[in-house]
Amino acid sequence: MDWLTTVDHKKLGILYLWFTLFFFAVGGIFALLVRTQLAVGENTFLANDAYNQIFTMHASSMLFLFIIPIWAGFGNYFVPLHIGAMDMAFPRINALSFWMLPPAAILMFAGFLVDGGAAAGGWTAYTPLSRQAGMGMDLWILAVLLLGMSSTIGAANFLVTMFRMRAPGMTMFRMPIFSWTMLVTALLQLLATPVLAAALAMLFIDRNYGGAFFDPNGGGNVVLWQNVFWFYSHPAVYIMILPGMGIISEILPVFSRKPLFGYKAFVFATMGIGALGFSVWAHHMFTTGAVLLPFFGIMTFMIGVPTGVKIFNWLGTVWGGSISFKSPMLWGLGFVSMFLIGGLNGTFSAAVPVDFALHDTYFVVAHIHYVLFGGSVMAVFAGLYYWFPKIWGRMLDERLGQLHFVLGFIGFNLTFFPMHLLGLDGMPRRIATYANDTGWEPMNLLSTIGAFLIAVSMIPFIINVVLAFRRPPDQPNDPWEGNTLEWATTSPPPVHNFDSLPPIKSERPLFDARQENKDTETN
Amino acid sequence: MQRPLKRIRLLAALSLAAVLGLGSASTALAVQPGGITDEAHEMHDLFLVMLYFSIALFVIIASALLYAIIRFRRKDDELPKQVHGSNRIEILWTGLPIIIVIILFTLSLITLFDVEKKAKQDALTVEVTGFQYQWQFVYDLNDLGVGEFEGEGTITIIGTPANEPELVLPVNEIVEFTLQSTDVIHSFYVRDFLYKLDLIPGRINTFSVTPRETGVFRAQCAELCGVNHALMRFTVRIVEREEFDEWIKQTAKHQSADQEDEKTVRANEREQ
Repeated sequence: MDWLTTVDHKKLGILYLWFTLFFFAVGGIFALLVRTQLAVGENTFLANDAYNQIFTMHASSMLFLFIIPIWAGFGNYFVPLHIGAMDMAFPRINALSFWMLPPAAILMFAGFLVDGGAAAGGWTAYTPLSRQAGMGMDLWILAVLLLGMSSTIGAANFLVTMFRMRAPGMTMFRMPIFSWTMLVTALLQLLATPVLAAALAMLFIDRNYGGAFFDPNGGGNVVLWQNVFWFYSHPAVYIMILPGMGIISEILPVFSRKPLFGYKAFVFATMGIGALGFSVWAHHMFTTGAVLLPFFGIMTFMIGVPTGVKIFNWLGTVWGGSISFKSPMLWGLGFVSMFLIGGLNGTFSAAVPVDFALHDTYFVVAHIHYVLFGGSVMAVFAGLYYWFPKIWGRMLDERLGQLHFVLGFIGFNLTFFPMHLLGLDGMPRRIATYANDTGWEPMNLLSTIGAFLIAVSMIPFIINVVLAFRRPPDQPNDPWEGNTLEWATTSPPPVHNFDSLPPIKSERPLFDARQENKDTETN
Repeated sequence: MQRPLKRIRLLAALSLAAVLGLGSASTALAVQPGGITDEAHEMHDLFLVMLYFSIALFVIIASALLYAIIRFRRKDDELPKQVHGSNRIEILWTGLPIIIVIILFTLSLITLFDVEKKAKQDALTVEVTGFQYQWQFVYDLNDLGVGEFEGEGTITIIGTPANEPELVLPVNEIVEFTLQSTDVIHSFYVRDFLYKLDLIPGRINTFSVTPRETGVFRAQCAELCGVNHALMRFTVRIVEREEFDEWIKQTAKHQSADQEDEKTVRANEREQ
């Protein structure tokens, strides 16, 4: 009962984590269905119609019910702790944000029960295809609208919390990088999500009330949907990755025992990505023949620069450090190396004439998964291993953690690297099947094997979590020698978070406190 | 003792990164077709430039990362030097990428303008219409480029799921495509053109290419268009001019014969 009525940011954070991890599993099972269908040519495991529903719902649950809200989960738990606050600025609104998710998920999946099945137009729901679709599409629109509302009010809450609730001494430029990335993410959500809401409302009117926003026969414009959709959804890509970068920027310094290299440069790079993120949406539309190609080409190239700065800063952080390879660090280094590939293969599509070949092929599928799995998902696991002792007071086992990482890392590359080659070889994305004479079968089979290896890698993780919960919560305040304020309180923290705060004189208050202790000891 | 060890680590990191980078590059090279049109050749060259830049960057950054991982493992409890950053280095690794992306952008812009050149008025024109879930190709007999075909009207090739259509084109001549759709968005994608362009309801898109190789090439719709999107395939057959003219003649004869048949059938129906 307590969990249903709670307005405590930590309990809501935990609810977010469980909810989103559940939909990570659902989305993962859908991914396995997709990979099973594509394992061999001319496969009949899934009918074409079922395939379209499954891959649409795979993306929809992964993006809208897993990655975007899981950052709200980590943010809920750790932003108040990071800035030394008692709670979020608006605890009740915080609860409202979370409790909008379950009805949205139910609406979205209810599509499977209605005539015509769930939404099957891809998570991008391009018109006019999405006008033709059955009732599952309406449910999908309502679900995404609800989720958008949840993240908009959540974003406002995060912004007010960070602007108004910081502890004495916690200036903006002493905020942990994770909080900074949550701040920029919240800004993006606040500015971009209403545009998506407007787009969805227009689509709903077109479908149900005879509107013609996107109908050329009624004077509308088909490409308008893509413009408004990507005006949200490109910034949304940064919404999906920035907090992950923030988590990595907390973990690398702790396990290298050095401060983050170029803290301010990192903050400015994050802002730069946020700002440029609003000027690149049409790079998803290079082959429509309806956008100004050179402008969006140069902006897309440019957004690579602050992204590169971040990679260099992470490199500078571990360089000259004293690195210990605990599970959070393994996932952190996995993130840096895989995100590097995800950054480099993205620049191919910024070169417009190269994108003419690569657009809507498996090369793009490889790219998004190197960013969203190699990036975001690895950051999720890094964060879970890192903060598990803080949230639940129990340590996850190192050996199982290593096994999880090694299997996951190999499985990930086995799944997604061959997709580059398939894309170059001309395999379009979102096709339910392919002819045997295309020669795409070996790479697809390899990719399917990789996908199942990823699934297998989750077994040690689940065992690890189950075993951890069978142990008593015995973790000290600060098992990792952390830098940020959450490690100054008990594990798990009390309802009011802190009995007392250490003085905050830099972005690493706990490091400072440890050094002072050592100094007084030696004196 | 310390120096050779360092060098070995550096070598190990470098060679591992190089193997990974060059390995993926060579597989990518082997897979991306070089293309069969003038435009595709240019776009492939640009692709290669992008590939070389990415591989170089990957090898440099990955070997630095691997070196750091090997070299800076925790050995004792001593706190490493607390470096907070360096403005000079930040400026360097902001400035260099800006220069690199400006170079790459300029190259891509040059290629873009080249491949977007429009065909001359009298070039062969094919009107492509996408529909769920097949293609229709229409040749205007007055608009066949340099051919000498005498005749009026059009030739229409319509695909069916059982009978995928074939787009026949003459080699070494520029051909212009006009793309349109009657229902949802489709995308005209020929792998060996290294090119695709969308067919959008309410909009006409055009592009031109000059094929340089004869042969049969597979192609298919690249924009999700509904249940049977995956089956919306066609082939492109590129032939010598004489063969193309012959094909036009034969197809025109067949189609006018079919039309005659249809007329008589309809006339008979009316009489009854």
